[in-house]
Amino acid sequence: MSEENKVLFRGLSDAVVNLEEEKAAELAREVVEKNIDAYEAVDKGLAHGMDRAGRLFEEDEYFVPELLIAADAMYAGLDILRPHIKVDSSSEPGKIVVGVVEGDTHDIGKNLVKIILEAKGFTVFDLGRDVPPETFVQKAQEVGADIIGLSTLMTTTMPGMAKVVEILRASGLRERIKVMVGGAPISAAFARKIGADGYSANAIEAGELASRLLAEIRAAGAQAAAG
Amino acid sequence: MNTDSLDGATPFTPKERLLRVLRREETDRPPVACMGGMMNAAIVEIAGNCPATLPGAHWDADQMAELALAVAKQTGFENLAVPFCMTVEAETLGSSVDLGTLACEPKIVSEPYQSIAEVPDLDRESLLGAGRIPVVLKAVERLAAAGTDMPIIVSLTGPISTAASLVNPPAFFKELRKKREDAHRLLSRISLFLGEYARRAVRAGADVIAIGDPSATGDILGPALFEEFAVPYVREVVRAAHAQNAPAIVHICGDTDSCRALWPLMESEAVSVDAMINLAKLKSFLPGIVTMGNLSTYMLEFGTADRVARRTEKLIRDGVDIIAPACGLSTSTKLPVIRAMTDTVRSRRRGT
Repeated sequence: MSEENKVLFRGLSDAVVNLEEEKAAELAREVVEKNIDAYEAVDKGLAHGMDRAGRLFEEDEYFVPELLIAADAMYAGLDILRPHIKVDSSSEPGKIVVGVVEGDTHDIGKNLVKIILEAKGFTVFDLGRDVPPETFVQKAQEVGADIIGLSTLMTTTMPGMAKVVEILRASGLRERIKVMVGGAPISAAFARKIGADGYSANAIEAGELASRLLAEIRAAGAQAAAG
Repeated sequence: MNTDSLDGATPFTPKERLLRVLRREETDRPPVACMGGMMNAAIVEIAGNCPATLPGAHWDADQMAELALAVAKQTGFENLAVPFCMTVEAETLGSSVDLGTLACEPKIVSEPYQSIAEVPDLDRESLLGAGRIPVVLKAVERLAAAGTDMPIIVSLTGPISTAASLVNPPAFFKELRKKREDAHRLLSRISLFLGEYARRAVRAGADVIAIGDPSATGDILGPALFEEFAVPYVREVVRAAHAQNAPAIVHICGDTDSCRALWPLMESEAVSVDAMINLAKLKSFLPGIVTMGNLSTYMLEFGTADRVARRTEKLIRDGVDIIAPACGLSTSTKLPVIRAMTDTVRSRRRGT
């Protein structure tokens, strides 16, 4: 990597972590003008910055408002760089359907998860809030999702998560689609109890969990193909 | 268990007991209460078998009062509480609300504004006469007229949660940092509106004002924004209750350890907290604080009566001042489990 690129990528990363939306856009335009690899600028610049912001969030330095503003900066740069990313068919992004389960309209946590997943390169299908269990499964089938991510803030709506797992099982899709759950009242024990594949305590962990689940799916797929 | 025989020998009525605890005076035992609003106990098992049912009782004062009486009688909670949702304020200010069903609580369908700056000036007078606020106030008058010895708690939705029900929440939370002055202006207007609502509730007969502000949590805001935006405006509403000589309880959601040093600044008589907070530890951190809570609503929904009774015992042993659910009860919670909680408290005597 040239020194100039390095400085530019660092600038993008800093703009995100320092919550500077306009700076991120300005530097992204510079990347395009100078014909620098847009994918690398996203990976080593914007996503890197979001990763740092996420770490500050985990360390209680940043909270929800800061993470949301960092995401705005990331998206401001991403909007400019995206059309210039050369499509690489060898590494197809993971697909994940996310939403807040029926009965709950709190979607801050889900929105954060979506941001982190996009920063990690996932294609995210966001069903929004108050989503019936069937809709998760239908959407996942329709787009060929690898993972379904379920969020709730209310104890009252937790049974909706179990319902999604049941529907997947009943429709014979359980082996193909992984399920991850999260939200304030959810625990790892609850995730195990309903037969989900994973639980994460916050958006940053959700990003790591999704990457791990995708790697498992890909490894299993490769094994099946080899076998 | 016959509750009359339980209460017969005690020197305090439920109202005296709760008010004494809030004044930090001696009592025979802690009260067991449920503050209403976001934490109401109008479960399906009660509302489904009561002539005053849901969702009707959300907009009919007579039904609201009748259901509040039925909830207290059947659950054993030692207070009357209205309303049964946390959407009254936001709906009055312009949010569209789905009033739900018997099993599903009312919820905000959509926030009308995408930015704080879009929220128009609030005309407090006309707003307080609109929507369901007059219904709640009338229900309070009915409850006061019913002449029970139960304290009447009116549960308000706090300023941050109300604001985040009016303005799209991600935009609202970002603008707390990016458009500070707009945010202060809106929260100040909302807290004046809520303060006036609180004043009228006390004049209608409320004994205690409860403020549930689940979005005003350190989990979301962090301590700096909590101190700047939650504390002063919640305190505004608390002071409005105090101006009418009524005590106030503030409920805070989430694991807000990072903010707990700031709680006393809200000036409420008691703080109600979520299940993950260790109230015994909290008491050593904030000596003199009156605590309310914090029986897990997950345990109330999925646990056995035995476990709930044991957990309740522990809360009493830990010196929790007011025994209460930690969060909003699921409408499918079963009555015998709630009774296990309330009976455990009500059969207690000092020193037993």
